[in-house]
Amino acid sequence: MSTLLRMEFGKLFRLASVRFGLVLLVLFPLLWAYAPGIFEVYGFFLVSGFQVPALSLLSSMQFLLPLLVSITAAELLGVELAHGTLPTVLLRPVTRPQWLSAKLIVVAIYPFLVMAVFLLASLLAGTPYGFGDFVGGTGLGESGLLGTGVMTAGEAFGELLLAYAVAALALVPIGMLAVLFSVLFMNAAGGALATLSTLIFMQLLVVFPSVEPYLLTTQLNAYSSPVASLAWVLALILVYSALFAASAVVLFERKDF
Amino acid sequence: MPTPAIESVNLTKSYGGRPIVRDLSFQVNPGEVYALVGPNGAGKTTVIRLVSGLAFPTSGHVRLLGQDPHQHPAVRRSLGAVVEAPAAFYPFLTGRSNLRLHADLAGGVEEGRIDELLELMELSHAAERKVGVYSLGMRQRLGVAAAMLTRPTVLILDEPASGMDPLSLHLVHSVLQQAAQDGTAVLLSTHHLDEVVAYCTRVAIMEEGALIDEVNLFDRRERFRVHVTHPAQAKALLETAPFVRHVAVRGEDVVFIPASPEAIGRVSVLLAQSEIGVLEMSRDIFDLRAYYRDRVSAERARRTGSFHTARPDGTLPGVGRERDEAGGQP
Repeated sequence: MSTLLRMEFGKLFRLASVRFGLVLLVLFPLLWAYAPGIFEVYGFFLVSGFQVPALSLLSSMQFLLPLLVSITAAELLGVELAHGTLPTVLLRPVTRPQWLSAKLIVVAIYPFLVMAVFLLASLLAGTPYGFGDFVGGTGLGESGLLGTGVMTAGEAFGELLLAYAVAALALVPIGMLAVLFSVLFMNAAGGALATLSTLIFMQLLVVFPSVEPYLLTTQLNAYSSPVASLAWVLALILVYSALFAASAVVLFERKDF
Repeated sequence: MPTPAIESVNLTKSYGGRPIVRDLSFQVNPGEVYALVGPNGAGKTTVIRLVSGLAFPTSGHVRLLGQDPHQHPAVRRSLGAVVEAPAAFYPFLTGRSNLRLHADLAGGVEEGRIDELLELMELSHAAERKVGVYSLGMRQRLGVAAAMLTRPTVLILDEPASGMDPLSLHLVHSVLQQAAQDGTAVLLSTHHLDEVVAYCTRVAIMEEGALIDEVNLFDRRERFRVHVTHPAQAKALLETAPFVRHVAVRGEDVVFIPASPEAIGRVSVLLAQSEIGVLEMSRDIFDLRAYYRDRVSAERARRTGSFHTARPDGTLPGVGRERDEAGGQP
């Protein structure tokens, strides 16, 4: 398995979507840090460097980050199809579940990598505003950017770390879903498109209040406003991830190549 | 009886209800080279993928060294295969790195094996180049090198020499021939009939997913043809000779299989002593290309019920041209 994981990580950083995505994530926070019309459009001023990562996350979690994760997850399988290397690898004494599991593990880790880069880039972009204690909020808590008084640097950083970690976890099942669809269609573009379509469809299901807490898309907001306790959210994310991953493995096991 | 290296029993594969491979049974023993030939779309690649365990049969079964490759993936440690034409590799890695990756997936190979194969396949000079810039022939040769990494006892290759220049073609066929001589069972699909006839043990002719004929070329290469003044008398005479294994008449010629190389001269002497004129004697070179063309045409005619009508002896026009009048194995 270690050989497979080494292989898959090696391939991950060669994917066009990963390279493009990481560059985009580095540049994206600069929009917030240096936007001249932020007060005219949104009606607030940035008072702390800790607010840049929060705004970056708030503005990308609904579409940009799921898009990047789903495309990369689909491409990780798609690149094998494009190069014709999938049958070649499967001819070695490696079982299909082993091979796909290595990909799923990489897909599960990728959101954390993405969020780590995003957080770091956002903090760097927020440097001009400083990282000391400040009056206001990061934008992630219930009181938003206004806050409830003085927020210490430690509290702000802790809030950001937790939010980015929960956001990364919420992206994991999206990656798994993209792998599942890619296995189903044996096509990277089809896999990514089906994943995004599913997410858009799920977002429309909020019109059913009883279903909303269980939706995958609802958990994308869990980093700032979880619908239930964090433990419940994490359990739901794990159930979704396990379900999608297991389905992908079962489907892949019976595929003809 | 020893376990066949490859065994296909009543193998059938359908996609969407349409049969691609129909009831295919064959065996390949260690040291044999078994070639699948047939028109494009005959089902050769599907057979290669079924036998190598990449596709699942609709019915029937496949055994590699006596084991089902789906239920016992470990049997693939003994398998070397190229199932893509051209062979597929990661284009962003060098030739050597691709082989190293394959070696790692196979659980490792002995020190120096990669260099040995790169040299054997005349790729040492390109070992550090990315595969993305390799020519078609180089990729094919790298494919054969990858297949032979673990010194497999079973080699399965889908058109291993497609797109190659004559020198590379000769190299690949020589390597496969040597592998078979070393005891490896080789199954390959090919369109290079002239090349495989020189060293294949048996050739399976496929058409529309079915095996329509299996030609034993091992016997074929042992055959000699003698052009004589009295073919019928020569045949009768040679049938009594203990140093001749098989005799048949083909037109003005007598075709025979000598029991030993020394028997060839003794046949000539025997015929001369019996006052049968020997006008010419030579190895009976089997024209696989012509035979293949006739068999496929005849099969198509039989299937479509078209203009070919059978001769009084039951054979179809063209088909009998290469068959001995004694009948039996072509």
